[in-house]
Amino acid sequence: MKITFTINNEERSLEVSSHQRLLDIIRKDLGLTAAKEGCGKGECGACTVLFNGEPVASCLVLAPQADGAEILTVEGLLSREGELHPLQQAFLDAGAVQCGFCIPGSIMTGYRLLQDNPEPEREEVCQALAGNICRCTGYQKIVDAIQLAARRMQAGGDSS
Amino acid sequence: MSTKYVGEKVTKVDACKKVTGEAKYTEDLVNDFSDLLHIRVLRTPHPHAYLREINLEPAREVAGVVEVFTAADFPELKEFGLIIKDQPVLVGIDQKMRYLGDALALVVAETDAAALQGRDRIELEIEELEVVDNPLRSMEQGCIQIHEDHEIEVTHYLDPEMCCDNILSDNYLDKGDVEKGFAEADLIVEREYQTQFVEQLPLQVEKGIADYDEESGEIIIWAASQWLHDTQADIAQAMGISKDKIRIKQPVIGGAFGKKEDISVHIHLALAARELKRPVQLIYNREESMIAQSKRHPQIIRHKTGVSSEGKLTAWQTKMIMDTGAYASSGPAVVRNAMFHCTGPYQVPNVRAACYAVYTNNTYCGAMRGFGATQMAFAYDSQMDVIARELEIDPADFRMRNAYQPGSTTPGGEKLELGVNVRETIARARRLSGWQEGDNNA
Repeated sequence: MKITFTINNEERSLEVSSHQRLLDIIRKDLGLTAAKEGCGKGECGACTVLFNGEPVASCLVLAPQADGAEILTVEGLLSREGELHPLQQAFLDAGAVQCGFCIPGSIMTGYRLLQDNPEPEREEVCQALAGNICRCTGYQKIVDAIQLAARRMQAGGDSS
Repeated sequence: MSTKYVGEKVTKVDACKKVTGEAKYTEDLVNDFSDLLHIRVLRTPHPHAYLREINLEPAREVAGVVEVFTAADFPELKEFGLIIKDQPVLVGIDQKMRYLGDALALVVAETDAAALQGRDRIELEIEELEVVDNPLRSMEQGCIQIHEDHEIEVTHYLDPEMCCDNILSDNYLDKGDVEKGFAEADLIVEREYQTQFVEQLPLQVEKGIADYDEESGEIIIWAASQWLHDTQADIAQAMGISKDKIRIKQPVIGGAFGKKEDISVHIHLALAARELKRPVQLIYNREESMIAQSKRHPQIIRHKTGVSSEGKLTAWQTKMIMDTGAYASSGPAVVRNAMFHCTGPYQVPNVRAACYAVYTNNTYCGAMRGFGATQMAFAYDSQMDVIARELEIDPADFRMRNAYQPGSTTPGGEKLELGVNVRETIARARRLSGWQEGDNNA
């Protein structure tokens, strides 16, 4: 079947089969490889993308469900001038990146959290990240990074 | 010495590409190939059995299946392994499968779905043997031998009473006079501790791509490895080709924690790419990674410790039996590392240890963070707590009385001079944790 959706502010149409996963069409058909497959079972969060504004495990969403949807991945966070989003910059500055496999998913979770809660408490960041496993166990710095981004975005007024 | 970067924050060189999603892990490279073939590995239906027959015809009939390879296609293949070459690339007819991860056939197809369908249609006849799932059973007289067709080098200190058929490696150490140490003790505590298998669980499982350059005869492999040159050498010796015909281009690695020290997809990929002269991919899923690749070694640790009434350790004797699973992997090195950590960071004048790595039909064990010392840490610090309770001494204070200081000697007889900071660590841990009891004794 043919589906049409918006991904990173770009409208796309694709021929998909009923058993394909959203993660497959993002990674293979569209070649956007930031979102990763860690478990294929919705446990690890490496494939987290925003789907109609909510973080989802894209390995658990069927491609046909994406018809008409609005999707955002880490590739869509760069500014038009190619500058890093404050969250991406904060992950660098806080030393939150180790093997990096969980990072695109963790950043998308953080992005969604800051939309609702621009000044989250540490505990609230931990709660939001409950579905994102970092097997390098770099959680402290990932939480630091999200709080650092929150402070900078509050100071700079940039929450785009 | 340059201090330019010491104490300074330095951004990891590859961090920026990881936050933008541009970093290329192995699976991100598959889009660069237009004619990639897909491999699926048929693994064993039983952890200890002889393979008697294999019927590949039903798999070959599946539309899209290009080729099915077994050991019969590669009579020149040799076994592989990090320390001892005891692991087959493919189990052949009348050879033994020793755990659920051994490979019996490689199904190569135009699509992953076809490869899977082909794999599941292969018919097998096996002769089942006793499954040895416990290292204590493995060490009993009369237990079935797991590697009877291998010359396994057990070291030279063999205990004549012990059945060595399934012992991969044994290690002993003696420091001082342990009998004298026990005679001097006011209290002797004996306890047994057990640890379990642990999966390293890197977020990225084992995945690879390989291609063959007909002109140069080179096999190019894109896959993670923690021992790039060892992996290259092991692939070459297993295939009987020169190392310079194997080129590994390592993409970004999504975690390893020891699990990617062992060969996984590499030799299977190399064989298929060379035979078919086309690029191939082999992508494990999480279940396959957990079944086929290494684990942290479970250990059975018996500590017998002598201590004076003032809380000074006088003697420490350790016996440890380690389940190394079906293949050696890093086992001989892990068991040794565990043994030399048997007393942890505590000074003991008299120490004796005997440690064994034992084959079973469990998933083979290899490297994982700490490399054997982690299991031992659980056991020696549990032992310290038990002794402190028996002596009615504060456990932090008891550790302080025995902790290494410059000039202390380890169980292996090594004299420690620099970087001996366990006392500061204990003091800081006591402060940070808010531990109060016994503070006045510190």
